[in-house]
Amino acid sequence: MSQMISSGKRNAGLFNNENRRKITWMLFLLPALIIYLTFMAGPLFDSLRLSLYTGEGYNPTKFVGLTNYIDLFTNPLWRGKFFGAVLHTCIFFAIHMIVQNSLGLLFANLLASDFKGRDVYRTIIFAPATLSVLVTGFLWTLILNPQWGAVNKILIAMDLKSLALPWLGRKELALPIIALVSSWQWVGMPTVMFLAGLMGISEELLEAARIDGASEWAIFWKIKFPLLKPVVGIVAILTFVDNFNAFDVIYAMAGAKGEPAYSADLLATLFYRTGIAGEHPVGIPNMGMGAAIATMTFIILMAGVLLWLYLSRRQSPDES
Amino acid sequence: MKKLFAMFSILVLASMLLAACGSPAPAATEAPAATVAPVATEAPVATEAPAAEQITLTLGSWRVDDVAAWEIINAAFNAEYPNITVKFDPTNPPDYNATLRTQLETGTGPDLYFVRSFATGRELFDAGYVASLKDLPGISDAFTEASRSPWATDSGEPYAVPIIAVSHGIYYNKDIFAANGIEIPKTWEDLMAAAKKLQDAGITPFANGTKDAWDINEVVMMQFIPSNIGGYEGRLAYLNGERCFNSEEMVSSFQQIKDMQPFLPTGFEATSYYDSAQLFSQGQAAMMLDGSWSIGGFEKDATDFKWGVFYPPALAGKDQYVTFHIDAAIGANAASPNLEAAKTFLAWLETGKFAELLGNNLPGFFPLTKDVPTLSDPIAADFMAFNGKAKGVDIRFVWEKLLSAPSGSVDGYTSLNNNVISVLKNEKTPKEAADSFQADLAGWYGPAKTCKP
Repeated sequence: MSQMISSGKRNAGLFNNENRRKITWMLFLLPALIIYLTFMAGPLFDSLRLSLYTGEGYNPTKFVGLTNYIDLFTNPLWRGKFFGAVLHTCIFFAIHMIVQNSLGLLFANLLASDFKGRDVYRTIIFAPATLSVLVTGFLWTLILNPQWGAVNKILIAMDLKSLALPWLGRKELALPIIALVSSWQWVGMPTVMFLAGLMGISEELLEAARIDGASEWAIFWKIKFPLLKPVVGIVAILTFVDNFNAFDVIYAMAGAKGEPAYSADLLATLFYRTGIAGEHPVGIPNMGMGAAIATMTFIILMAGVLLWLYLSRRQSPDES
Repeated sequence: MKKLFAMFSILVLASMLLAACGSPAPAATEAPAATVAPVATEAPVATEAPAAEQITLTLGSWRVDDVAAWEIINAAFNAEYPNITVKFDPTNPPDYNATLRTQLETGTGPDLYFVRSFATGRELFDAGYVASLKDLPGISDAFTEASRSPWATDSGEPYAVPIIAVSHGIYYNKDIFAANGIEIPKTWEDLMAAAKKLQDAGITPFANGTKDAWDINEVVMMQFIPSNIGGYEGRLAYLNGERCFNSEEMVSSFQQIKDMQPFLPTGFEATSYYDSAQLFSQGQAAMMLDGSWSIGGFEKDATDFKWGVFYPPALAGKDQYVTFHIDAAIGANAASPNLEAAKTFLAWLETGKFAELLGNNLPGFFPLTKDVPTLSDPIAADFMAFNGKAKGVDIRFVWEKLLSAPSGSVDGYTSLNNNVISVLKNEKTPKEAADSFQADLAGWYGPAKTCKP
């Protein structure tokens, strides 16, 4: 009865204290909301609209419905380029998951223990992430250069001339090599995140396990890793989003065409060539098709993120 | 993570900048003017325009390396026409076409700009962005029809003044040639024998590579094609459907690529155009196939030895043709408020004075006027002399009709490029490569579908 009265009181006026506080609180969101709508949501929907148009240059004006999508999936050339790019992006992502994130976990474990020079190692591992991708990409292109690159010079000096390959010039090598360079650069990110996660694990749990005679290996898999699962999830989803949008490192090391022979062509480079830059030597973009590719990339990303949300939500009751 | 955050903040900043630049919206008010102002009505205004007022014209270009030379040229123009100042304002070459298009569409285009040959420039004319030059005095007297036609409609209406041609050849290290007793090869077979001799002596014969892809296509393959197919007439036979693109002449061009392959540097697959130029300028490779535009670069870098140029010799028994590519013209923006001043500049480009300034300030870029000035640069003069010695000259094979394919088809440039690289990587035989070139073109180019094999 008293509850009913109080709720009646609460609804008495639109501008009573409770409501006013609510509205004020929402006002603070407004600037962010406006920026989000103007610069994120707006362009996104405009890009969806653009994918239904065709025409040359930057003002596609001819409405063609779903033709761009139909072309993308039925024309052998577009289909080949698009699914090639999807496959390469998946490989690029897989290499990051396996190499970058496993190494990140390993480094975090090593850095979590106490030893001399720990801070130095932490800095070294994180340092490449502070450099520009174009700079590291250019440096690695030089290091891997078949004429005067350090890698091949060292291999030849070691009498391993047969291993001194044109690293960025072979179809089967270019993409994995670039993915490894990118993993090298960004390994500091998962390291820091895992390290933060490890620091949050209560020392008592680990001590108790040690007293029970658990090996370090068992402690890692039975205690640390299960407690790190939320961090693993976040790292995985961020790696997924980063790599399905990856462009800069490919542009720096393999050019906008993902040379050689489109073997390092990712979704973002395909989009850039189609929708923004056009191809040498004509260089006139097809913005409608570019927008269609961007939309497909968006759908893939959305599906991945939703899947992750679904999986993580299903898991959370066990954890709590 | 951080990358994501950085990307996001860059995006936000960039879009804010764009918004800031866009908000005064001079573009919006100018844009309609572009479409409304027809050339015909502006022409009479010309006579009324008083010469006294100061006019500044901007000149758009893709030649970022040539700022100093264009300042000299524009200063010479200004000396003759004190009331008109021309400002050279180049854009990074890979972005030029797209950037120019955006500028023109938003009404912020330069008053004068470099126009690409054939279809790329023609699209701008058809869209109404380039002013017609059918009233420009002297244009037909100053240039041959061959020079004018890349920038003229089918009925011969010109829309840009041709200014620059580039040539192609083989740069060679004279010291290495002399030390190994090699003469300038007269036939392709001689060239291959010379390459073998150099290789046996432990020297890399050719510096070229395929990392950047375009160079192997434009400065290697398209140099070989004219002598194999018989120059301009031979090329027309392909464009008319009298020959198929996998004819034996095309196969022998691909065969020359195959012949060269053992003489390329180790790791040529990952050797970029820049690497190739370095290999040659450091004396680590005896020859490099390249364009005349590199004269300036080599004069600066390759100072430790003597070098020269010769033309890639034809197969024994074939006539010699030279790839003399008509590359650039300057047109006037149809929406420019100073169209008449722009046309004054264009008319000046027809003079011998301009030809001489261009040829001597930009060695390797050849003026297209009928009367060729004497070139002070010895290498540039050597390149120019190829034209007289050869049976004929022609532009690059794919430029006239095969550059732009409809969406979803492979254009001639890309197809030729991919097939050349496939041959070099042993993925295709020369015959298979030529067949694939024909198949790609038959997908969209009429004459290729109906050609008689």
